[in-house]
Amino acid sequence: MTRIDPETQIPDPIELDRREEERLRAAAGLAPSPAAGGEYAGFDTVGIPDRPPQTEREREVYTLDEGEMLVNMGPQHPSTHGVMRIVVKVRGEIVVDVDPVLGYLHRGIEKLCENATYTTVLTYVDPMDYLSTMHNEHAPAIAFEKLYGVKAPPRAEYIRALVVELNRIFSHGLMMGFLALDIGGLTPILYSFINRDEVVDMLSAISGQRMLFNFFRVGGVNWDTNDEFLSRLGTWRSHVLDNIEMNERMITENEIFRGRTLGMGRLTGEDAISLGVSGPNLRASGVPFDVRKAHPYSIYHELEFDIITQDGGDSYSRYLQRIAEIKQSIHLIDQIIDKMPHGPVQAQVPGIIRPKPGRAFGAVESPRGLYSVYAISDGGPNPYRFRMRDPSFISLQAIPKLMPGRLVADTMAVMASFDPVMGGVDK
Amino acid sequence: MADLRRSRPAAHALGRGRPLSAPVTAGALVRLLHERLGDDLRELWTDEDTVEFRIDRARNVDVLTTLRDDEDLDFFFLADAAAVDYGTDAHFEVVYHLFSWKHPAWVRVRARVDRRDPRIPTVTTLWEGAMFHEREMYDMMGIVFEGNRDLRRIYMSPDYRSFPQRRDFVLPDDAADTAVAGVSPLERPETWDLARFRDELTRSAAPTAAPSPLDTDAEAGEVAASESRPR
Repeated sequence: MTRIDPETQIPDPIELDRREEERLRAAAGLAPSPAAGGEYAGFDTVGIPDRPPQTEREREVYTLDEGEMLVNMGPQHPSTHGVMRIVVKVRGEIVVDVDPVLGYLHRGIEKLCENATYTTVLTYVDPMDYLSTMHNEHAPAIAFEKLYGVKAPPRAEYIRALVVELNRIFSHGLMMGFLALDIGGLTPILYSFINRDEVVDMLSAISGQRMLFNFFRVGGVNWDTNDEFLSRLGTWRSHVLDNIEMNERMITENEIFRGRTLGMGRLTGEDAISLGVSGPNLRASGVPFDVRKAHPYSIYHELEFDIITQDGGDSYSRYLQRIAEIKQSIHLIDQIIDKMPHGPVQAQVPGIIRPKPGRAFGAVESPRGLYSVYAISDGGPNPYRFRMRDPSFISLQAIPKLMPGRLVADTMAVMASFDPVMGGVDK
Repeated sequence: MADLRRSRPAAHALGRGRPLSAPVTAGALVRLLHERLGDDLRELWTDEDTVEFRIDRARNVDVLTTLRDDEDLDFFFLADAAAVDYGTDAHFEVVYHLFSWKHPAWVRVRARVDRRDPRIPTVTTLWEGAMFHEREMYDMMGIVFEGNRDLRRIYMSPDYRSFPQRRDFVLPDDAADTAVAGVSPLERPETWDLARFRDELTRSAAPTAAPSPLDTDAEAGEVAASESRPR
C-alpha cells in the first residue's frame, strides 16, 4: 500500500480554473480579470447560487422571507423524468415558488445538426425526445422535403402515418403508467411497459432498431412493411383495446389516483395558449389545437377524425385526454391499413442532398405537442440553420405557474401529468 | 382571447380538409396583412403553407400585437421563436412563427438584429411562453431582449461566457479546416465577462447617431441563405 504524504498540497480545482482563465486572457492580450484575487462566483454545496442575482425573477425566487426555505430537487431525482433540477421555495409543506434549472442533458444537437449532412440530421434528432423518436424524424423530413422540393410516394406517407401513430400510442401509454407511478402506484407502469414492448417490437421489426428507429429518409422511409411487422400488428390489434381497458380499470376509477389528480394543476385555456403549451396538455384545457388538423401534413387530410378536447384542464383531464387519444390513434391505424396503397416507399434523391438556398418550416403533432423544425439552406450539403421547437421544453413553463399554493408532494404529480421528456427539453 | 371558448366553433367542426396550395395563401391573408400592417410589411413572400415578411426590430411588439389581437387576423398561438446568425459580416435575425385558425398559413415574422448591438424588445408581454424561447436565444446567440425580466442562461451554466450557436463559435473538429490554421477561437475572450459585455453594449449603443445598416434596405454583407426565396 502506498502511503499518502499528509503534507501534500491538494490543488484547488476552482483556483486551477481561475489560473487557466488568466493564462487564456494573457494569451489573448487582455488585461487580467478584474475578479482575479477576489471571490469566485460559484455554487455552494446545495446548488443554490451564492452570487448576486442576475435578473429580477432570480432575485424573487432566491430571496427568502421569514419561514421560507429552498429545497433542491434533482437533477438525479427518480421522478423528474430524466436529468432535471427544480429549486422549490417552500413554507412548511406549501410550495411558494418553483424555478426549473435546465441544461443537465444539453448536447447541442442543433449545432451538431448544422455540421451534419441532411441525411445524418435525421439520425441526430432521434435521441432528443426519446419517447417520440418517429415524430422527431418526421418534422425534419417534412422541412427538408420542402427545401429540396421532393415528395414522398403515397405508400411512404401511409407507412409514416402508421408508425407515427404507433409511436404516439406507446408514448401516451407510458405517460399513464408514469403518472400513476409518481402518485405512488407501482403496478400500472409494469403493464404500460408490457404494452409498450409489444409496439416497440413491432417497430423494431419494420425499422431494425428498438428505440432510436432511424426510419425516416428525405423523400420516403427506410423499409417497406414486412411479414413480421404485419403479423405483430394484427396480433397487437386483436387485444390492444382489452389491454387499455385493463389499464383504465386499474387507474381511472382508483380513489387515490382521483384524489391526487382531480382539480390538481388546473390550467385555463387562455393561460395554456399564453404559455405556449401545446398538444394533449392544451386540448385537455379545452383549446382545440391539433397540428394534424391545423396544417394537415402527411396523409392526415385523408383520414377521418375529430379534435378531442376535455374541459377540466387539471391533471385528471390530461390523463383522460391521453386515453382518448390512444383510442383515436387506434381508429386512425385501422383507416391507414384499410387505405394503404401499393408502390415504392422512397423517392429518387441523391446520396448527398444539396437543396437550393431557402427556408422551410415543418411541424408535426408529437405526443407532447407541436414539434417543429425551421431549416435554412445556403446551398451546401449541411443545413445553414437547424432549429427544433420541442413541446415539452415550452410546456415546462407551466410548472412555476401552477405550483404555488400546492403541496410539495404534488409538484411531481403535476409535472408527470404534463409528460415532459428531458432529452427533448435539453436538446 | 378572453372569450376564446365561446367564439370558437365546436371542436369537430375545425380542421382543414386538404393540404394548402399557394393561391389560397397568397389571397385573402396577404391583402389583409397589407391593410392592417401597412408600412411595417417588407419583403413579403409566400410559399405553399407559409406567409413571411420582414419587420423593423423596434416594431416587433406592435406588429405581433396587431397579428394577435386583430379579430380578422387572430394569430393567437406563438408556434416558435428562433434566432438565426447570418455570419460575422451580416446580422442576426429573430424569427417568429404564428398560427391562426382563420388563415390557412403559418405566418413567419423576421426581424433583423444588429450584430454589434444585439438587442430587440421582448415579446414575453404578449406570450408568457416566449420566456424560454428568449432565454434560449440569449444563451445560444447572445441576443439581449429588452424588458425581459428573467434573461438568464438556460442550458449553459451561469458562469459560462460564450454563445455557442453563433457562426464564429467553431467546433474543435472544424478548427483545423479554417484559414487561420487551427487558431480559431472556440470561446471568444471578449465575451467572457458578461457584465462587461453588457456595459460595452450600452456604451456603444448611445453615441452611434449614424443610421444602423438595418434601417436601410441595402443588403450589404448578407449571405445567400437570407437572400433567397423560401421554398
